[in-house]
Amino acid sequence: MINLQPDDLNRGESLPHYYGVDRLVVLPRDPYCLYTYWEVSLPTRESLKNEWGEAAWQGARLQLRVHKHDWNREEIVESFFDVTLETETDNWYLPALDSDRVYHTELGWRLPDGDFKPVLRSNAVRTPRDGLSDIIDEEWQLPDWKARRLFRRISLYHLSSPELFRRRKQRQ
Amino acid sequence: MAQGFLSLILHAHLPYVRHPEHQYSLEEKWLYEALTECYIPILIALEIMKNDGVNFRLTFSLSPTLLAMMEDPLLRERYARYLERLQNLARLEEERTAGDTDFAPLARLYREHFDAAAGYYHRFGGRLVNAFRSLAEENLIEVITSASTHAYLPLLQVQPESVYAQAANAVQYYTALFGEPPRGIWLPECAYYQGLENYLGELGVQYFITATHGVLYASPRPKYGVYSPILTPAGVAAFGRDPETSKQVWSSQEGYPGDYDYREFYRDIAYDLPLDYIGPHLHPPGMRSDSGIKYYRITRAGLAYKEPYRPEQAREKAAQHAGNFMFNREQQVKYLASIMGRPPIVVSPYDAELFGHWWFEGPQWLEYLCRKIAYDQGDVKMITPGEYLDLGYPLQLCTPNPSSWGDKGHNEVWLNGTNDWIYRHLHRAAEEMIGLATEHPAAEGLLKRALNQAARELFLAQSSDWPFIMSSGTMVEYAHRRITGHLVRFRVLSRQIRGGAIDEGWLKRLEETDNLYPHIDYRLFQSLETTVPREMSVV
Repeated sequence: MINLQPDDLNRGESLPHYYGVDRLVVLPRDPYCLYTYWEVSLPTRESLKNEWGEAAWQGARLQLRVHKHDWNREEIVESFFDVTLETETDNWYLPALDSDRVYHTELGWRLPDGDFKPVLRSNAVRTPRDGLSDIIDEEWQLPDWKARRLFRRISLYHLSSPELFRRRKQRQ
Repeated sequence: MAQGFLSLILHAHLPYVRHPEHQYSLEEKWLYEALTECYIPILIALEIMKNDGVNFRLTFSLSPTLLAMMEDPLLRERYARYLERLQNLARLEEERTAGDTDFAPLARLYREHFDAAAGYYHRFGGRLVNAFRSLAEENLIEVITSASTHAYLPLLQVQPESVYAQAANAVQYYTALFGEPPRGIWLPECAYYQGLENYLGELGVQYFITATHGVLYASPRPKYGVYSPILTPAGVAAFGRDPETSKQVWSSQEGYPGDYDYREFYRDIAYDLPLDYIGPHLHPPGMRSDSGIKYYRITRAGLAYKEPYRPEQAREKAAQHAGNFMFNREQQVKYLASIMGRPPIVVSPYDAELFGHWWFEGPQWLEYLCRKIAYDQGDVKMITPGEYLDLGYPLQLCTPNPSSWGDKGHNEVWLNGTNDWIYRHLHRAAEEMIGLATEHPAAEGLLKRALNQAARELFLAQSSDWPFIMSSGTMVEYAHRRITGHLVRFRVLSRQIRGGAIDEGWLKRLEETDNLYPHIDYRLFQSLETTVPREMSVV
């Protein structure tokens, strides 16, 4: 093939494997399986080592705690189980879960004294339903298709971004 | 009075495969083949029916990346030359096969086919968007949009800004091309997750299509199954795919396209004829890859021996299959109407690329079907989802079930051991984009260009096509190169923006290469927490 433009638009760079951030993300794969990936940054690892002591850090096992929420009252955790992982693992599939349930996970370490120390908490996701819904309430509505309203998201114009960031930080 | 409705939806999509850096790109050829074998033959069939006064209705989902390629001047120029080469090859083939009772008529068939495609293409000045637009203005077709780069939305749900930007840019691009906003959106791979409808509602989208179990397993349980749309709490309707019709066309065993009289896809003259003869006409020249000229029929599955293609026999089969499809719909809607007490809608979405490319006779089948439904019966009427909504039936309020039309019905095709590594990078880049867009609510000049280009690179990285290709196991290296390339470009842009040191020369080259959506607005990625929906005027 003739290369018309041989220069490298990627500037010879490649993707890093890690980004130096603390992150635990859960994604749904199907009604019975979730995928989760994570990254624990070096500074976080260092501070954990300092907090727990070298011996506890060395003997600690990486674990994923999988929380299943109540079907009806999603804010309540109904049960959980732990998965023990090899130290260098950075992603995992969680099979054999229940369909139509909200889950979230925590990544942490099981210390030699048996204590589980959660370090990161994931987003929550609901697994898909795998059958007809048991809810058979019927409510019908005539949609109003005449109103052709279109919205566009815009910044709150009267606030400068530094102000917004301050407000966000305060909320967190 | 019709007892029920059939809504045929053709989803046309290709990833953005524009490669100005190569004189001949194998990936650009995907576009050229789809234009020659699918989109143009379908458009020609529709035009003939329009001129004959046939009252048909089809819905086309045209993905924004496909539209952007159809509109791109370089690709239009290259396609015109590609077509010329094909026409030349077909003429040579007519000479070579002269006098051969089996092959001479076939060579002529292809020559006429390519000449017709070229004639049609040039009649619209290479702007096929206008061909679709004019059919839409006649109310014969409804055109809907899809996510900007056909992103697999459920796997981006952790950052709703990505989902919003994918949909919002698509709506804006569609509005610019078609003069009014789209009524519907095709969710890439029919992939739905709960909450998605909120962003679609804000954008004025009235409906989307899900896999069968997206509507069937909705909650509360939909009284009419997939044979009526449901209304999501966000006020956006969801239509569920009919399982029966998809099997009839798609299934490799029972489906129509496997009929022995139909043209064999895997026997192309590019592999049968001497390279010194055929080589100069191939794309790229000298390399054996499909020419599109195929002289044999399927004959029998799995047999190496193939018999010459007989176009009249195949045409007869296409007509029979269209009749069979129509007959089954008549029975289906009569039965459904009797138990539903209102006219059912049978929603049948297909990949447009099936028609004409794999299934050579697909456009013929489509034309026969439209004509037969218009003239040969009265129980089934063709309709678009938008027209169905206009009939004003009350809809049941339900929340669809997360689902896709991919293998196993959920996210596994796009999330498995071959491709799961990409999400760490996609999410990280989106996080960075959201931060940049939020911190720069009113960038101008070079900074604005860099932010817009960052949004383009992120969009391109988010295409569902890359993880799909990784799953499929062919062209994997290309998918890797594309996704990492766009993510690396995004990263460098982001670093330059943050460092206040934008390399304008390099940015310009990026703008020329990854050039889709000239009016893109990076602010679509602004944090949803710091933005509010404001009503826009409709064009």
